[in-house]
Amino acid sequence: MTAVPVHRRRILAPLARIAGGDKLVTAALAVLALLIVAAVLAPLIAPHDPDAVDLSATLSGSTPEHLLGADQSGRDVLSRLIFGARTGLLGPLVIVIVSTLLGMLIGVTAAWRGGVVDSVLSRVMELIFSFPALLLAIILVAVFGVGLTAPVIAMSVAYAPYVGRLARSVAMQEKARPYIQAYRVQGWSGWVICVKHLLPNIAPLILAQSAINFGYALMDLAALSFLGFGVQPPTADWGAMINEGAPALLQGAMLPALAPGVAIVITVVAFSIVGESIADRVARREQ
Amino acid sequence: MRTSRLVAATALLALAVSACGGATSADKNGGSAAFEITEDTPPAKGPVDSVTWSLYAEPQSLDYAYAFDYHPNTVLANVCEQLMRITPDLKVEPGLASAAANPDPKRWVYTIRDGVKFHDGSTLTADDVVASLRRHIDPKVGSYWISAYMNVKSVEKTGPMEVTVHLKKPDQLFNEEMGTSAGTVESAAWLAKEGYGTPDVGVNCTGPFALESWQKGQALNFKKFDGYWDSSLAPKVNTLKMVFIPDPAARVNALLSGEVDGGYLLPPPGFPKLRTAGTGTLYFGPNTTAVNLIPTDLKGTLGDLKVRRALSMALDREGIIKAAAGGVATPAKAPAAIGAWGIAPEAAKDYYAKLPALTRDVAGAKKLIEEAGATGKKVVIATSTLSPEIGVIANAVQSAGQAIGLKVELKAVAPEAYTALFSDEKAREGIDLVMTIWYNSTPDPLEFYGILETGNFANYGGYSNPEYDALVDEANAQADPAARAEVIAKLQEIAVRDVIWIPLYEVPHSMFLNKRLTGAPTSIAQLMFPWAARLGSAG
Repeated sequence: MTAVPVHRRRILAPLARIAGGDKLVTAALAVLALLIVAAVLAPLIAPHDPDAVDLSATLSGSTPEHLLGADQSGRDVLSRLIFGARTGLLGPLVIVIVSTLLGMLIGVTAAWRGGVVDSVLSRVMELIFSFPALLLAIILVAVFGVGLTAPVIAMSVAYAPYVGRLARSVAMQEKARPYIQAYRVQGWSGWVICVKHLLPNIAPLILAQSAINFGYALMDLAALSFLGFGVQPPTADWGAMINEGAPALLQGAMLPALAPGVAIVITVVAFSIVGESIADRVARREQ
Repeated sequence: MRTSRLVAATALLALAVSACGGATSADKNGGSAAFEITEDTPPAKGPVDSVTWSLYAEPQSLDYAYAFDYHPNTVLANVCEQLMRITPDLKVEPGLASAAANPDPKRWVYTIRDGVKFHDGSTLTADDVVASLRRHIDPKVGSYWISAYMNVKSVEKTGPMEVTVHLKKPDQLFNEEMGTSAGTVESAAWLAKEGYGTPDVGVNCTGPFALESWQKGQALNFKKFDGYWDSSLAPKVNTLKMVFIPDPAARVNALLSGEVDGGYLLPPPGFPKLRTAGTGTLYFGPNTTAVNLIPTDLKGTLGDLKVRRALSMALDREGIIKAAAGGVATPAKAPAAIGAWGIAPEAAKDYYAKLPALTRDVAGAKKLIEEAGATGKKVVIATSTLSPEIGVIANAVQSAGQAIGLKVELKAVAPEAYTALFSDEKAREGIDLVMTIWYNSTPDPLEFYGILETGNFANYGGYSNPEYDALVDEANAQADPAARAEVIAKLQEIAVRDVIWIPLYEVPHSMFLNKRLTGAPTSIAQLMFPWAARLGSAG
């Protein structure tokens, strides 16, 4: 009876340390770790081929063979959920990396150069802000076709101003600090100061924003797949799974739509908790 | 940003949970049960003030030239009329033409009915008929019904109330097509208006209901037409509202709650709940519809008859029916449904019985693939989120194909692009197989088998067989329905033998009607017949 809790504590100990002892953050990190493991090891841990059709199992409920039931085509929901973590995490990861790099470039350049450059880049960010990310994605899908590529490109651009605005704000505060002035007096170039000193100092706050953005990007991509613009069947994807499972709700088969829906909510909440936790820590350190 | 996204996340979860309704486990039969065909509903006993009807989509236009799908035809059936009329029991009788004559094989002469008024009060004349029919052969219009006019040389006014259609070759089917949108008659003056058929201009026809308003994105409103010529179909409903409810769950719930009074073509997953509804009755009526796979590239892997036959043999039709149609369907033996044989329903049973049963034989199919040297060859099937059965069938085909050694790939097509597969050759590039729910508008199976002749617009795979083409001409020249049916039976045998299309299953036509109402026809003829004119009080 005692072996399990001890074992669990051992597994969670490193996460708890990262979380600073906060149980909620530890739980969120555990969820994210589980998702990453599921995504990476999907072929090894999924009980079935996610695309294997078994029409005799159509909309079967939870059984030992299909723990989360089967969808309308008789495909194992659990296996599709596990494989769905791949597109669920890959798409937002690319969006977050690209939008963070782009946003930091715009934000820090605007803050460092100031004047006209700042005005122009700020207006560009406002312009992108005024365009809803989903609408931009749907337009690009119309041009380049359905799939993951067009939405990822669109959202990478759409999310950049969120990072850019934050980067500009904190970079301006950082730029006014004495140590930056000191480097300038010593004749260091702006480029070197930014890369070696300014960016590392603002990075934690940007990281916090990016973690939160990850959850939102996941939501948006799932919404696009749900609407039929994103990941396409038969690829296992949480948003597409909700779309495919929705008609079965009328027949009382909840799991094909509910399971991916819950997975999306849990993942988004976990990323939000982790992001907020990072932001809180940075704020405490600043104080 | 943060708040709204989290609210959205929670809403997504709530949607998934709330839409589940009360049931906790899936019907083990996929919601299926034995179903019975109801030929018609009892006649109405009295008038009702208003009726609200559900449509699964908003028509893009009310122009009859583009009415080529369920929802625009369900609307227009009550508003616009044709030279001929297709009745609820799938017979063809005179409509706006009081008589149709075929004095020689290459001429149809229509006598226009006297005393018919358009909704604006003007009187129907031969000029209106000529203007309406000629639009189909006008390339600027781009009518979706152009196939019906393939053999038409000219449409002429030959008297104040007489119109003659001159043909390039005998065409018996043409007269039956005059009971569909191909034979719709609209006021010539109204046709000349800029924006005809749009929400702003609307239509001005002779049907029992007149368009009152079009609330874009929401509803179409109609009022009964007091000047309607046919007293046997005088409307018993004062106002008719057709609301657009694309979401299947929302549509079913609206019917269950009584928010809307009825609807045709209901989503199969909703059948179990509608069957036990306290608010009304779910009917299954006669249909001309069959679900098929269309090999769209007969120069590719599916160009080999053995491969087409093998794929057909490998399919689990019973499983597909259970998964895709909620069990409410029967396996098909031919690409045209047996219900499409309205001209010879009894003979059709014999013709159908002679066809080989499409039984599943995976081992035999695999052997055929090996004989054809097609093991490992690629077949691409289109899939889409447009409707659930498309995905289910595509998945089943992939599974069946791979079981016999083919490499079946799914090509995702955007929902709005799926219909383009049937009208745009470029949209079909790289696709070998497309699933279709195909219905006939007339009671003549030649309407279907005619499209497989060489060069026909809907002969998507490019099938060409001189013997087949000659039989199409022979059938089209045969005025006697029984004799024509015999020739069409030969076409059916060839189509099945050559697996031009791969038949899957036949479905009944579905309708839900609130218990306060009765009279609406249950058959697919509602797409052409003024179904709402028969609606009335049940008690």
